[in-house]
Amino acid sequence: MSLYLAAFGFGLVSTSVLAIAAVGFTMQFGISNMINLAYGEVMIASAYASYSLNNAGINIWVSLLGGAVFGAVFSYLINRVLYAPFQKKGTALIGMVIISLAASLMIANVLLPIVGYYSVSYHQDVGPTFHAGSIALTGVQLAIMAVAVVLMLAIYALLKLTRLGKAMRATSANPTLARNCGIPTRRVIDTAWVITGALCGVAGTVAGMNSDTFSVASGAGFLISIIAAAVLGGAGNPYGAMIGAFLIGEVTEVSAAAFSPQYKEVAAFAILILVMVLRPQGLLAKRGTLAAAG
Amino acid sequence: MHQGSHRRSTSLGIVAALGLVLAACGSGSSSSSGGGGSTSPLLVGVIAPFTGADASLGPRYFAACVPASLAINNAGGIMGHKVSCQQFDTRGEPADAVPAAQQMIASNSNLMAVVGCTSDEASSVVPIIDHSHIPMFCMTGQSEFNKSSFTYFHRLVPPDEFDAYALVGSALDNSHFSRIALVFGNDIGSQAFVQPAMTALQHLGATVTINQALALGQSSYRTEVTAMLATHPDAIFTEALGSTDATYLSEVKQLNGSSIPFMGTSATIDPVWFAAVSGAIGVPDVLKYFQAVDLGVSFSGPGYADFLANLTASAASNADAIKYKETGSTLHLYDGIMQTALAMVATKSTDPTVYNAKIRDIGNGVSGAVEVNTYAAGVAALNSGKSIKWVGAGGPTSYDKYNNSQQGYILVKYDATGNEVQFGKLTEQQTAAVIAAGGG
Repeated sequence: MSLYLAAFGFGLVSTSVLAIAAVGFTMQFGISNMINLAYGEVMIASAYASYSLNNAGINIWVSLLGGAVFGAVFSYLINRVLYAPFQKKGTALIGMVIISLAASLMIANVLLPIVGYYSVSYHQDVGPTFHAGSIALTGVQLAIMAVAVVLMLAIYALLKLTRLGKAMRATSANPTLARNCGIPTRRVIDTAWVITGALCGVAGTVAGMNSDTFSVASGAGFLISIIAAAVLGGAGNPYGAMIGAFLIGEVTEVSAAAFSPQYKEVAAFAILILVMVLRPQGLLAKRGTLAAAG
Repeated sequence: MHQGSHRRSTSLGIVAALGLVLAACGSGSSSSSGGGGSTSPLLVGVIAPFTGADASLGPRYFAACVPASLAINNAGGIMGHKVSCQQFDTRGEPADAVPAAQQMIASNSNLMAVVGCTSDEASSVVPIIDHSHIPMFCMTGQSEFNKSSFTYFHRLVPPDEFDAYALVGSALDNSHFSRIALVFGNDIGSQAFVQPAMTALQHLGATVTINQALALGQSSYRTEVTAMLATHPDAIFTEALGSTDATYLSEVKQLNGSSIPFMGTSATIDPVWFAAVSGAIGVPDVLKYFQAVDLGVSFSGPGYADFLANLTASAASNADAIKYKETGSTLHLYDGIMQTALAMVATKSTDPTVYNAKIRDIGNGVSGAVEVNTYAAGVAALNSGKSIKWVGAGGPTSYDKYNNSQQGYILVKYDATGNEVQFGKLTEQQTAAVIAAGGG
């Protein structure tokens, strides 16, 4: 039993990292109808941006902000330079997926000669270990969880309480109608890519902090769990992504305690498939903040 | 969400899955380097993972080919033919390795040899290469090649299970550990160590406290580490490449309050692995708690000196080359290319069906053969009508009838700069006893 409790605690850390990433990913899809398979590579590129700052002697938490800025700018540019022009031409969704896959491979292969294939680690003090029963978490892990909670609340406040959030919801629901109502949808989408890019940058950095090491190859591994969480929760729904992240994070860890560790991903994806069979739209597809008003 | 939300979310699932499959199946890039300059150059294909979790393997094999091509080309080539090297990326996945091998063969009629073919892809690519009659030197330790019928297959390293036996011998005889946790990646190459190690440990009275097959590339293994620590092992046997070992071992240190001894296979003697793990747990812990077994290479002698000179020279076109100056696989593949080149000179043929059988003679030497340590010396001896025995960078070769050659094991650690340092050796008697206990 103590192992399961410990696994549950570790699952909360995994959930936190995954939630930050999955909310950004699903919002990109919800607002701009773009399945961005380059998301994992942008995470890694941002993690390396943070690493370059951290390696220059800057505190990891300040470096985290640098990673967020990098992710925001990089994501904005990818959308503006690559995705948006194709979408404007009416490229089909499958075509956009292929384009994002190409972007992913390009980023990884451009990154490789720059940063090398060596794994790197942040210079960070993991702090003291805090115990609650069988659950043992370090100071850094608790801080990562706190960052995730703050960001989730901020996303909630953004979408529920601000004009920008309402504009995002309207753009998500019907971009043509939103534009006809005077909402500057292009600017809204640009802003959404900046915000979700920042989430992507934060996610990449905290993922590197959590795993203690990362490399260019880590991006693809992150992406699989992120997509699973987004699809599980309901495509385009940030609250669904949070729930999806919790389920994927916890099932992954607890199944590692219950079965052989090599089946941890199998268990998580079995849950995903089960949900998709029973509720193809995902857990919260019709109830999210990005859903149509009312 | 608008009316199409249900359909759109379903399409996301389908399209995303398609995207992931495409991402997983995409073939990697290749690049070329080496000598060249002749109108009919010969090519050595380096087929190995250059991307993916085992991406650290390809560069060390490429680092063998470039200096070999330099040595050959500087000595006038192979009967005038210059030699070059080209990478063919398998991503460490059989599904990607097959098209990579097919493309390599279909696009290059001038292949003189292929090197690389790790345990990740050997089962897939060896039959293809063998069918095309191209001599190959593989770094696979899979036991299926111990007595294979592949005529063009050569292996200058022992089977993987011998690494496992050496680990057991080192743990029990040298370090006197008796409770061992087995922590290996769930890839086919790493899992090859598990059963032999388990059998040998149990037959020799040691305890396997836990056997964990880690899913590679996860962001955390804390649950697995907690389960492992609860079994109170004296030491961990491990080979989980990519960043997996680094993440796992850093979490061992966090959750245990300190590291515990961990012992790696020869694949963990690698600058990429050292950089990852030392970055995660600190160099002092690597120096204090880590040891490994490696192929019994002396890193000395005239063959090694010539290799080192050519490796250093190759840094002009392959900046990372010098990192592999004491990497056993780099030395062995260098020797394989040299033996092939000399077999071609000996038979005066560029037809693999003619010179392939001669490779074994060059490696083992026939009666009355003179020992040669450089390509130029080998060519000179052959041109003067002598038979030769190649004793190169990795030392002597002793092929069996299945073209498998193997030497003993050394016990090694890292120094603070990541160089391999030998601190012991397993005697033949020690190794033989463990192999017998493991049923090998």
